[in-house]
Amino acid sequence: MNAARPPLATAEVAAATLVCLPDMGPRRLRAVLDRWPDPGVALAAVRDGKAGDALARHARLVRTQEREALARSWAHAARALDLAPELLRRGTAVVRDGHPGYPIGDEVPDRPAVLLVEGAAPEVLHRPRVAIVGTRSASVHGLADARELGAFLARRGITVVSGLAIGIDAAAHLGALESGGGVAGVVATGLDVVYPRRHVVLFERVRRSGVLLSEAGFGAQANRFRFPIRNRIIAALADVVVVVEATLRGGARITADYGLEYGRPVLVVPGSRRNPSAEGCNALLADGAQPLLDPDDVLVALGMTPGSRRGWGAPPPRAAPGSDGARILEACAGEAATVDQLVSRTELPPEAVTVALRALERQGWVEHRRGWWWPR
Amino acid sequence: MLASVRSATLTGVDGHVVTVEVHVSTGLPSYHVVGLPDAAVRESRERVRAALLSSAIEFPLQRITVNLAPGGVRKTGAGFELAVALGLIAATGQLADGVLDGVGVLGELGLDGSVRPVPGVLALVDALRAAGIDSVIVPATDGAEASLVHGMDVRAARSVAELRACLKGEADWPDPPPPAAGEPGAPDLDEEPVDLADVRGLPRARRALEVAAAGGHHVLLTGPPGTGKTMLARRLPTILSPLEADEALEVTRIHSAAGHAPRHGLARRRPFRAPHHTASTAALVGGGSNRLRPGEVTLAHRGVLFLDELGEFPPHALDALRQPIEEHVVRISRQAMSVVFPSDFLLIACSNPCPCGRGGPSCECTETQRARYRRRLSAPLLDRFDLRLEVHPPEPGDGPGEPSSTVRERVAEAVARQQRRYARRHWRRNSQVPAGALAEVIPLSDDADDAWRWAIGHDTLTGRGAARVRRVARTLADLEGSAEVCERHVTLAAALREDVP
Repeated sequence: MNAARPPLATAEVAAATLVCLPDMGPRRLRAVLDRWPDPGVALAAVRDGKAGDALARHARLVRTQEREALARSWAHAARALDLAPELLRRGTAVVRDGHPGYPIGDEVPDRPAVLLVEGAAPEVLHRPRVAIVGTRSASVHGLADARELGAFLARRGITVVSGLAIGIDAAAHLGALESGGGVAGVVATGLDVVYPRRHVVLFERVRRSGVLLSEAGFGAQANRFRFPIRNRIIAALADVVVVVEATLRGGARITADYGLEYGRPVLVVPGSRRNPSAEGCNALLADGAQPLLDPDDVLVALGMTPGSRRGWGAPPPRAAPGSDGARILEACAGEAATVDQLVSRTELPPEAVTVALRALERQGWVEHRRGWWWPR
Repeated sequence: MLASVRSATLTGVDGHVVTVEVHVSTGLPSYHVVGLPDAAVRESRERVRAALLSSAIEFPLQRITVNLAPGGVRKTGAGFELAVALGLIAATGQLADGVLDGVGVLGELGLDGSVRPVPGVLALVDALRAAGIDSVIVPATDGAEASLVHGMDVRAARSVAELRACLKGEADWPDPPPPAAGEPGAPDLDEEPVDLADVRGLPRARRALEVAAAGGHHVLLTGPPGTGKTMLARRLPTILSPLEADEALEVTRIHSAAGHAPRHGLARRRPFRAPHHTASTAALVGGGSNRLRPGEVTLAHRGVLFLDELGEFPPHALDALRQPIEEHVVRISRQAMSVVFPSDFLLIACSNPCPCGRGGPSCECTETQRARYRRRLSAPLLDRFDLRLEVHPPEPGDGPGEPSSTVRERVAEAVARQQRRYARRHWRRNSQVPAGALAEVIPLSDDADDAWRWAIGHDTLTGRGAARVRRVARTLADLEGSAEVCERHVTLAAALREDVP
């Protein structure tokens, strides 16, 4: 993939160097590039220790002493930093605001000045993009919805944007990847950091079939404050934001709020009132968000011709449940249940319920997770 | 003048024969103990001296050397004092030659000349018997325990003065110790009676307990606080099969060596050990620096080890359990010695599913919190539980379950079935069938084999996990009285091995 890319321009290396400076953040970077729009000039100024000029009006750095200390530390770091070999080796593209290939429109006020992009399929950023976001502690049903939705969109050539987190994010990415679609993963850390660690394989798959984006420099670790800031990029990149399962105070609600702020249609999958992982979704609906009842709703929101409204797709073919199995599915009523609950609702002997549940699991009717049985 | 008396010392829970040699010669009055004695043995000389003087027996004002042979074995405790005292009496010519030949002597002395009990009498007398000694003098309170050793002539000693008189033939021996009374397995009267009928609901957990008791399978129960996990676990002993004769001897030996001898000689109930979760590694598996002491896993030998709040135990202490669970013995090695403790126990553990404890759809923990909580229990340890299940609070309508007596009968039948099947094998229970013998000993019907293979793929069982499902399936068949392992047994066995917590 390196061969296909034009050699790195000096300006791009300079921009990446600025991003990778210690204690650099989106606002500070924007301030520096406002003062010296050419990154090469800006870097030269920073190396000369003149960054303090650019930060003069920065809200958080009112004291001259602080500004000068930061400018000295940047000057020191910038003089020591030569990113060109690293960028070449990693195949990192440096995408600047106002230059060709920058994926976010001008309507987003706080868009990142520079994005670092890695991955084998940068073209996914030039297709319709839908963000699928949700909670990390998702239910079996939420995970299935995210996965099916990811697959549905990917099959129609729509890029699925998400944050590579545990739960809904990962399920959406996986659904899209399994259908051979393109994905864009927006990470909060540097592109050389894998967080969460257990998604190391997922990160590789996203790299192969799509792109990873970050506004943070190499080496930036998973700090708490980075995630809400990252969520604004997910919302900004998306043409439509879909919330699958969200808790009342989770990152997914932040993404939805950014989406509304940037004028993106926000679609929300409604949840059961008994499901704490869906409280945030229902709160969004109460606030007037549009419910997502059918995947085609996303196509309509994108302005694409809706399909044949085939809904969520036919369930996979599975054998008819036995008589005990049918009673159990009826007793579940679509909600998760424990064996003991099913025993008392169906009045079957416990062993018969266990045997029937295993048979249903084998046929694909139910799924067992954390001691509860979930109908699929 | 030289006298030698046979005695024994404890290493771990095993006895070792020790020859106590006492040499009395002319010279400046002195008293030395040689032969790798520990501090307690060295202190014994003051007690021996006082005991002899209080008993109006001459204490020689001469050069006294006490040697404990063999010199390489570390001698611990005060159990040699009676032997040393008798050796002194013999070496000073106050006893006829030969009265102590072929007699083992055990006992600690009081300053007034009384003979006090020693720990581990059963193991010590066993060792003496193995060395060809068929007569022992033991403290009177240990008489019942010593007489459990087959073919041993046990004589009781109450005080040094009385003992000397008996040895000289001037007095009759005190009455032989009463034989161990009562039926094995009879409950101790002073224990609060508990019964499975006290627990409401939890049908699956009850079933798991029954399977565990029948086949000797380790159980892990997870669930919200207050559902009755601990209550249920504490009732496991009420459905266990009684100790068999050889097992009762083993248990008595271990508990006596650990210093808490059963009150009536032979242990009758299977031990139930419930260490608190602050227990150290050494407390769980055994250890110590000078004298290696058995840990909870050994004290639970042939019984139940109950670990409540499994996640709260120190992780390294839990991982130390892995080897005893697999091999049924603990090998403790220290620089000076190494011992092997038996540790064939049934492990039952309880834990919460996550920090908030609710589990399932109403859990409010984040995925990260749950992952951190899960990491406290290592996968290799979890893999060693044959039965793992999540218990849920009883439903409002749940009544009391079956009483222990009914379950105990079914368990006893299943145990008898296993005994018949394994009569010629070196294992007793389904849970102990070696992996290599599974295919031969626990054949599966075609349907059952199909279900087993599906479970391996679907539940992503490890090799150990697959073997454990097969053993549990055999126990389920035994409980039903079925000669063959059918598909439903395998299915139920796999369902009793949930992915918890």
